Order: sequence, then structure tokens, then C-alpha cells
Amino acid sequence: MSNPFSAGAAALDARGRLRPRTRSGRLTPYLLLAPATVLFAVFMFYPLLYTLYLSFFDWNMTRPTKEFVGFENYISVFTDPNFGKIMGNTALYILLLLLFDFAAPYVFSFILSFVVQKGKNFYKSSIFLPSVISLVVGTMIFVWLLNPISGPVSAIAKALGLTVPIWSNTQGLVIVVLSIITSWKIFGYNFIVVMAGVSSVPLEVVEAARLDNIPTWRIFLNIVVPMSSSTGIYVLILSIVTGMQQIFTPINMVTKGGPDNASTNLIYAVYDQAFGFFKTGTASAYAILMMLLFGFLLFLEFKFVEKSVYYEN
Amino acid sequence: MKTKPAVSVSRASLWHIPLAFLVAMALVPVLFALLYSFKSLQSIYGDAGLFTSGFTLDNYRDIARQLPIVQITLNTLTVAVLVTACKLLTSILAAYAFVFTSFRGKTVLYFLLISTIFIPFTVTMIPNYITVSKLNLFDSVLGIVLPQLADATGIFLLRQTMRSIPKSLIEIAELDGISRMRTLRDIILPICRPSIVATGIIFFINSWNEYVWPTLILRSKENYTLSLAMQLFSSSEAGTEFTTVMAMAVISMLIPVVLYLIFQRYIMSTFASSGIKG
Repeated sequence: MSNPFSAGAAALDARGRLRPRTRSGRLTPYLLLAPATVLFAVFMFYPLLYTLYLSFFDWNMTRPTKEFVGFENYISVFTDPNFGKIMGNTALYILLLLLFDFAAPYVFSFILSFVVQKGKNFYKSSIFLPSVISLVVGTMIFVWLLNPISGPVSAIAKALGLTVPIWSNTQGLVIVVLSIITSWKIFGYNFIVVMAGVSSVPLEVVEAARLDNIPTWRIFLNIVVPMSSSTGIYVLILSIVTGMQQIFTPINMVTKGGPDNASTNLIYAVYDQAFGFFKTGTASAYAILMMLLFGFLLFLEFKFVEKSVYYEN
Repeated sequence: MKTKPAVSVSRASLWHIPLAFLVAMALVPVLFALLYSFKSLQSIYGDAGLFTSGFTLDNYRDIARQLPIVQITLNTLTVAVLVTACKLLTSILAAYAFVFTSFRGKTVLYFLLISTIFIPFTVTMIPNYITVSKLNLFDSVLGIVLPQLADATGIFLLRQTMRSIPKSLIEIAELDGISRMRTLRDIILPICRPSIVATGIIFFINSWNEYVWPTLILRSKENYTLSLAMQLFSSSEAGTEFTTVMAMAVISMLIPVVLYLIFQRYIMSTFASSGIKG
């Protein structure tokens, strides 16, 4: 269970310590850490604080002066007639991403680890392939595959006497297709990560359950899931954190949040406000909402890891 | 030891159907892009339709005519190499410090650096845009590279590997009076080579595929990266020139796919170790 957040306790292990011998030796750790720390400070932590600061000002990125407006940007975000839609869409995206990139890989990694015997390496390496391909490429290919006039999917549908809707113009469907395009890229990665956790469940445990005639789905839910839960929760959180950021690419390339804001979400709203309307204040307010969501996930990660240290070992 | 399948063979083999569906979902888009990048648009609108058997390099010639594609590929390569080299360097130094030295605030600093994984790009985008603008780095390689020279995932992955090196080995080197830098270069780096290679390839591929930040920073076609060149085609009327778009897709994904095919095992095991006990 050593995902990035689980190693804290082990890091304190006394065996891990080497006593610095000299005065210069005492400085060494700081010198070694300086490059990464300075870069993170300048391009991660300072921007985080500056975005928080900007969320209390009215500005357009070019005007020489910023006007302090208190919580007005947040008020205008919450009273925006589209706010309900943005949050609702965000929730729907998260739900679909969890279904496609957390639940499905979990089930399939169980099947590949304990049910199916042949072709494991073939399945793993082909399913992983899209992870190395740019989502810009993936989006363009899917746009063509699903093109309602000349695309192969509509050609097949026509042969069967069906018509394919213009997905990018259909409320609801647009979110589903954008989520599928994004999942095309991240499914394989999540699959490999969760598989590592699932296949570490001892085969004897699964065999014993099998001999007791426990149905396969219960072996999965009652034995394998609890025994791989820390990897599982890591992938769950990762599905949201990477999925919500990756989904920006197809939204920006295909729909620009449309039709009629049907495919916009929290992450696209920041970009749209900042670089579409040049409203730095509202953009930053949306960004801070996004940060609160991710901060909550970070909190879950810590809380869960604390528990798993005793649970899974 | 031969193991008995957990489920009876006949029922278990039914699961190959959904697995095959997953494989198809993953590979069909890639294979279609490859196939149609070598077909002419006219032949597809002819009698045989999508199942035309023609072969042509016209789509690739079209791209070369419309865009400085060699320059664009070199730009992408330059960015990816710079980002990869710097991220590896900063990650190796940081990972070494976290594993082989002790200092006050180690755990706090580690978690602080690692938690940057949870900072979405939308939160850093506006201030970094302003910073790059103040430094006059718009439309330049440096402007793309600068904000991404350190990487929390790299620190994490390399720390994982270094933790598996026996401490006694390092203690012996220390007793022999071998300097820290020589220990790092001659003992630690060779042991960690597979995981450094894999981490480097991951950095390279991710940088190669990067879209959002270059979109904000780059202005002129000569400075474009492949993702931006690809996007030029998304604004042309949907689907009309799709064979050219597919050729562009093939150019963009060629290097990452080839790297993956060569280093598959390294990459997958390194990714896998990011989620479980190392």
C-alpha cells in the first residue's frame, strides 16, 4: 500500500537514518532538496496563494490596478444562473469517471487475476496502450469515429437501420461521450495500478473461499475488495484527481462547454472565466472551489492511509 | 505449481468476451487512425466507402505542405527532453535526501512536496501565466518548460526504489570515506537504473502529450508542439479532412507508442508500484 501518502510511518524508521559526520554534512539534505523545493514553491505554492488572493479582487489580468471586492467574486459565482448546472455536471462527470475508471478496472483486475487463466499479458499490455497516447489524439480519433455523417459508427448504425445522434449537441449524452473519451486514456493506467493491489491477495485465500462454494461476486466484494482496499481507495481518488483535469482536453477541443453549458464543469469554468472573459476574480473563485474539492480528497487520502497501515499489513 | 482456476473453466472463459471488448475499445481507435491515415478522402466517399482498399501517402504530404511539421516535432522533442532531464535530476536529488539523510522537518517536507499532486492545474494556471508573461517568455520553449521542472510523482517513485537499497551498503561506503556524491553516482544510481529509466520515459511521454499549458503559452506555428498542431485540425469543419487528421494523429502518437513497445515491462511495473507495497 505504498502509494505516495502511505509511507510516513516508515520514513521515521530509525534504520533509515544516517548520522551526518560533519558540519557540511548537516547542510547536505537542504542542498539536495533545494531545487525541487524552490521550484514547487515558485510554481505551485505561490500560485495557490496568489489565486486565493486574486479571488478577492476584481481584475482582468491587464489593468494596472486590482480592486478589492471582498467575497463578491464568490457571491457572483454562487448566484450565477449557471452555477447549479456547473456543479451538477461536475458531479455527473465524477460519477461517470468513477464508474469507468475505478469500478470497472477493479472488477476486471479481479477477473484477470483470479478468474481467467489465459492471455493475461496480452490483455494487460493492450489495455494499457492508450495511456501513453495524448488525449488530444484520442479526442480527434473519437470525434471522427463518432461523426454522425461519415464516421464508421454511423456507417454501422445505418447498416442496422439506426441513426446516430449528434452527440456533441445532445444534452446529457455529451457528458457521457466526453467521459468515455477521457476514460479511453486513463482506464489502462488505473487498471494496472489496481491490478497490482488485487493480485497481491493470496491465491490460497480465494481458493479456500471457492472450495466453500462462495459465489464469485461475493469473493470479489467480501474478500478481495477489503484486502486490497488501500490500493482501491488510492485509485478511486486518482480517478477523480486525474480524470477531472484530463477531461478539460476534450471539452476544450470539441464542445467549449456547450451546447448551452451542457458540458461545462468546475475545471472548464475556471479556464472560461480566465481566458474567455478575462474575469480573473471569478476564475480564481472557481479555482479555489476546485482546490477545496481536491483538498477534501487529500484529507481522505491521509485519513485512509493512517488506517490502512494497520489494516493491510 | 499448477493452480486450479477459482471458477469452473467453461464459465470462466466467458469472461474473455468482455475482456476482448476492452482490448477492442483500447486498440480499435489506434488501428483505425493508422489505417485511414494511408487512404485518400476521395476513395472513402466513393463506392467502397469506409472499406476502400486504396493506399496513399498524400495525407502526410498535405501535412508537410500546411505545417512546418519537422520543426514542430523538434520543438516537442526539445520540450520533452528538457522537462525529462530536469525532472529526473530534481527528483533523484530529493529522493536521495529523503532516504539517505536525516534532518528536521523531513516528514512534513515530504508530505508537503507530495501533496502538490492534489493541486489542479486550474489553480496554478493564472499566476504562472502572469509569471511567464513578466519574464517575457511567451511563445518560447523556456516558457513551457519553466513551471514543470520538478515532479512529485518522480520524487515518490524514486524514493520507493531507493528505500529498497540496504542501508548497510551505504554505511560501508561511508565508513570507507567515500563521499556522498560518489556514493550516489557509483552505488545508488546504478542500482536504481531500471526505475530511473521508467520514470524518465513516463516524464517524456507525459511532456510529449502535454496540451493545456502549451496552448496558453505558444502563439506562432513555428513554435508549436504536436498537440497544438493537432488542435489546428479540430477547428476545420468536422470530419471533412479526417484522413489528414488521422495522419496527424499517427505522427503525434508514433514516438510514445514506440517507446511503450520497447520499454513496456519497465513502464508497467513502475506504474504498478505506485499503488502497492514497494
